Amino acid sequence: MNTNNNVYTVVYTTVIVVVVAALLAFVSQSLKAKQDANEKADTISQMLTAAGYATKADLEKLGNTAVLAKYDEEIEKAFVIDLEGNELRALEGNNVYSPKQLKRQNYNLKGGPNKTGEPELPVFIFRNGRTVVPIYGAGLWGPIWGYISFNTDLETIGGAYFDHESETAGLGAKIKDDPSFQAEFVGEKANFADVNVLEIVKGGAPKDAEGNSVIDNKIDAITGATMTSNGLDAAIDTWLAAYAKYFLANKPACDKPCCQADVISSEVEKSNSEEE
Amino acid sequence: MDAKLKETILNPIFKGNPITVLVLGICSSLAVTVTLKGALVMALSVIVVTGISSLILSLLRNTIPGRVRIIVQLVVVAMMVILVDQILKSFEATYAIDKQLSVYIGLIITNCIVMGRIEAFALGNKPWPSFLDGVANGAGYGMILLIVAFFRELLGSGTLFGLDILNRFGYVPNNLVILPPFALILLGCIVWVQRSIQKDLQEK
Repeated sequence: MNTNNNVYTVVYTTVIVVVVAALLAFVSQSLKAKQDANEKADTISQMLTAAGYATKADLEKLGNTAVLAKYDEEIEKAFVIDLEGNELRALEGNNVYSPKQLKRQNYNLKGGPNKTGEPELPVFIFRNGRTVVPIYGAGLWGPIWGYISFNTDLETIGGAYFDHESETAGLGAKIKDDPSFQAEFVGEKANFADVNVLEIVKGGAPKDAEGNSVIDNKIDAITGATMTSNGLDAAIDTWLAAYAKYFLANKPACDKPCCQADVISSEVEKSNSEEE
Repeated sequence: MDAKLKETILNPIFKGNPITVLVLGICSSLAVTVTLKGALVMALSVIVVTGISSLILSLLRNTIPGRVRIIVQLVVVAMMVILVDQILKSFEATYAIDKQLSVYIGLIITNCIVMGRIEAFALGNKPWPSFLDGVANGAGYGMILLIVAFFRELLGSGTLFGLDILNRFGYVPNNLVILPPFALILLGCIVWVQRSIQKDLQEK
């Protein structure tokens, strides 16, 4: 048979493309439930890491079921708020915002042609008193997102975890892979009154005489990953500024004893994490 | 097993290794060799992709129109790569590693070994030898990956498969080893060792 005539070539390629497309669509549909379950457990373990329950690696070892159970046990309240800080509704049945949902809300926050509605921002309050909020933005090669937890004073950071889709391994990927970068956030204080809620600075955050990071809203950027650091800075500022009204309205007066205790415990944690 | 088939299997492992002799697939061997676990998953994925796409294309070899053969190869290889990626994403045990390897699983499609072996071998040979050729080339690639990853994880993190080996003796992990250039240095050393054993590879 002449395999080089035009009709044969066109028919052949059409058939092969249709067969392959159908097969892939079938596989993708039948595996989707499992993939979503994995993604959800991953998202939850990122939040639990930010809230300071365990390290991400330890949570991964637990497996999906245990992570979901831990979340059910530890979550006190999960709800969405609008830009004014008003609670819109509770998040039912451990619905956590997946990165895809965060992406949609990111469009809503920034406006532009992809905006589909008013922003609905999730807030997760855990039983250890920490409030976890997500951030989402653009890194160098693809989306980056993460979770930042705040102590009961709604100002001091209790923990942070970041993730990315395709940042450079060994450089930008350090926002996820380098625990010491995430540990730098612990104990710093967000400045919700300003547009720069947290600043990721090049050339070193201010340090005191003993070389410890001064408690302010400045965090050391990652060497060799300026674009990712800038992207993370922008993502944090965009998202935390959107939460500012909620945080300022719910901030307890700072003479409360709980507030003081938090500062001490977060400093202890910070020194612990630095030892690691 | 006849000698020719044996040659098909053994040649890519050592004498005609795709990385050290043919110098194909260098890019991903620098990128995914920071940990042994990542290298192992990558190696197995490449073995599956090269083996099965060689098999499929060898079965189709007499029907493929010559003018669009590269496109047909690409479609089949891309299908295999997406299948592997989807399957890795669905299992709890491999989800995290798939996330870690991220783009590199997808980039298997551009791994020169896959297309190279299909074009050079599968289109001119029967399905069974083609399948073995694909698997053996994937294995030759995987072997180098594991050697490089062994040294990089041991010296760069002080661990093997995540288990502490050197750190308990007060070893300070070497950051240079984690960075991609070190993989190139190691690769150079492997080529050096191979060429001193196998004298016929040395240029006069």
